[in-house]
Amino acid sequence: MTNPYQPIPATILKTIDETPTIRTFVLKPEQEVPFLAGQFIELTVPGVGEAPFTPSSSHFQREQLEMTIMKVGRATSALFELKPGDVLGVRGPYGKKYPLERFEGREVYIVGGGVGLAPLRALFLALTHEIGKYKRILLRYGARTPADIVYKDQVKEWQRMDRVDVDLSVDVSDERWTRKVGVVTCLMDEIPCDVKTSVAVVCGPPIMMKFVTQRLLDAGFAGENVYLSMEKNMSCGVGQCRHCRVGPYLACKDGPVLTWDQVKGVEDPFA
Amino acid sequence: MTARAQWLSALLAQYSVFVPAIVEDRVHWHRLESAELGGDGDNLTPALRRIRAAEPVKSFLFTSREKVATFPERLEPAEPKVQVLFGVKSCDLLPIRVHDRIVGEGEFQDPFYAARRKNTILIAADCPVPEDSCFCTLLGLTPYATEGADIALSVAGDGYLVETLTERGEQLVRASGLFQTATDVHVARREEERKAALEALGRINPKPWNPDLPRAIAAKMSDEAFWRKHAATCVECFGCLMACPTCYCFLLFDKAKEKGAERTRVWDACYQAAYTRVGGGANPRGEFLKRFANRFECKWKEFKNDHGFYACSGCGRCLTVCMGKIDIRNVLGEL
Repeated sequence: MTNPYQPIPATILKTIDETPTIRTFVLKPEQEVPFLAGQFIELTVPGVGEAPFTPSSSHFQREQLEMTIMKVGRATSALFELKPGDVLGVRGPYGKKYPLERFEGREVYIVGGGVGLAPLRALFLALTHEIGKYKRILLRYGARTPADIVYKDQVKEWQRMDRVDVDLSVDVSDERWTRKVGVVTCLMDEIPCDVKTSVAVVCGPPIMMKFVTQRLLDAGFAGENVYLSMEKNMSCGVGQCRHCRVGPYLACKDGPVLTWDQVKGVEDPFA
Repeated sequence: MTARAQWLSALLAQYSVFVPAIVEDRVHWHRLESAELGGDGDNLTPALRRIRAAEPVKSFLFTSREKVATFPERLEPAEPKVQVLFGVKSCDLLPIRVHDRIVGEGEFQDPFYAARRKNTILIAADCPVPEDSCFCTLLGLTPYATEGADIALSVAGDGYLVETLTERGEQLVRASGLFQTATDVHVARREEERKAALEALGRINPKPWNPDLPRAIAAKMSDEAFWRKHAATCVECFGCLMACPTCYCFLLFDKAKEKGAERTRVWDACYQAAYTRVGGGANPRGEFLKRFANRFECKWKEFKNDHGFYACSGCGRCLTVCMGKIDIRNVLGEL
């Protein structure tokens, strides 16, 4: 019998500073962690604590795991003190993957805010790895300032890819910013895809998710085609401890990605 | 030595044995020591005719603190010694089914729980004298066990009348060599006592609850006045949740050790302000009223919808420990 609470060691190979408060940790776990885009992992900072994160790397490349993490609390502050060569713990993967088979042949409209682009990058990389299966990938990403944009170099590459359409906005611009200024919904005045058949995928801070979801529904997306990252306090990760309950669902077991149709009956789903 | 003491003595020779005992007029679990069975009689008579012990049975299976992982060295679960819970009540058994569903079964079975569960012998005792705090019958249970234990026992004179419910129970009874086939008179007396207990519970709780609590609770969730009224005297001590035999919420916390780290699982309480708080500070149930209502939604709506039975056995521990004298029967009875 395996012990679901036992992490395995994972060595930090490299860290990449994405923004002043967001860092990507490149990890090499002792054993392969067979995650699929959308699933999450419990990351242990030894002796400090554990928190759930969704890998931001491609699930076609599993020997290394990339986690893009914002420094916000006790565990993440301790994590930011660690250096390449240090050892963390990981357990998982947990939760449900994005149902990529349902995305085939369709346009995929992805909307991210801030560090919310991390799990969406895993999705984006999985989609573009087999781009022939999908009609088109549209990515809309908003950050607070140009300096707060994560994966800056990669975003530039993505903009040049075939069948991929990327647009960015910042809440507060600087003198070199040439794109739109405003919260990410300012990129959604026009949604250049067939909203009746497309799927939308959203991840970002709760308030952003709320307004983006409203905009998508107004634009004509069906609730079953709107996929939302409903990350909560997923403590055990395995559907037992109950901290992450969202209405009739447990974010760790039934999510963390749930559709609007699943959460629309929940009181204040974006609280 | 009486036959009763002989049986306990035989169990004690092989296992850890826990029995209900009276301490300051309350029933508490007590670890049986062989000295208590010495001499020519039993110095300790288990309080089998009283209601359930103050401590929930989860304390024996899903302990309040348990080391569940070490790092980087892996923690391998040890095989615990077999324990006998001698005198559990019907309202102690349903909560074990709750824990079985959550941590005892499925893809992510908890090996610490599973090992203890396997190594626990459950000997149930009838509950002939219900008290005012009891309401097992409102949940569809009976004050005696018909399943979920290895043996169902009732006190018959200075002996025990037993009914074996599992193969393991049957073997235990046979191996003792102390039992003879019960007479119709014994069985009839047990049935009479069971009937009287049911009638007493009917007098204690004359009004049945709404038969569709999940729907009734769903309809009340946004009725702030309703929850405010019932939560008015709550002091947020979490006593009801700790004493509750079905509550299974837990928290994993990590601590640095001299070499590496250690992870402990502790009981948690959904009334804690930080219960749903995430790293970034968002807290979906930051207001206490939402947490208060959540307890009812969890036990009598979500659990029922997910598993087909309520996560409540009517043991009454929550209202017995409540400093604010909140009786959940008043809350649920109003739905």
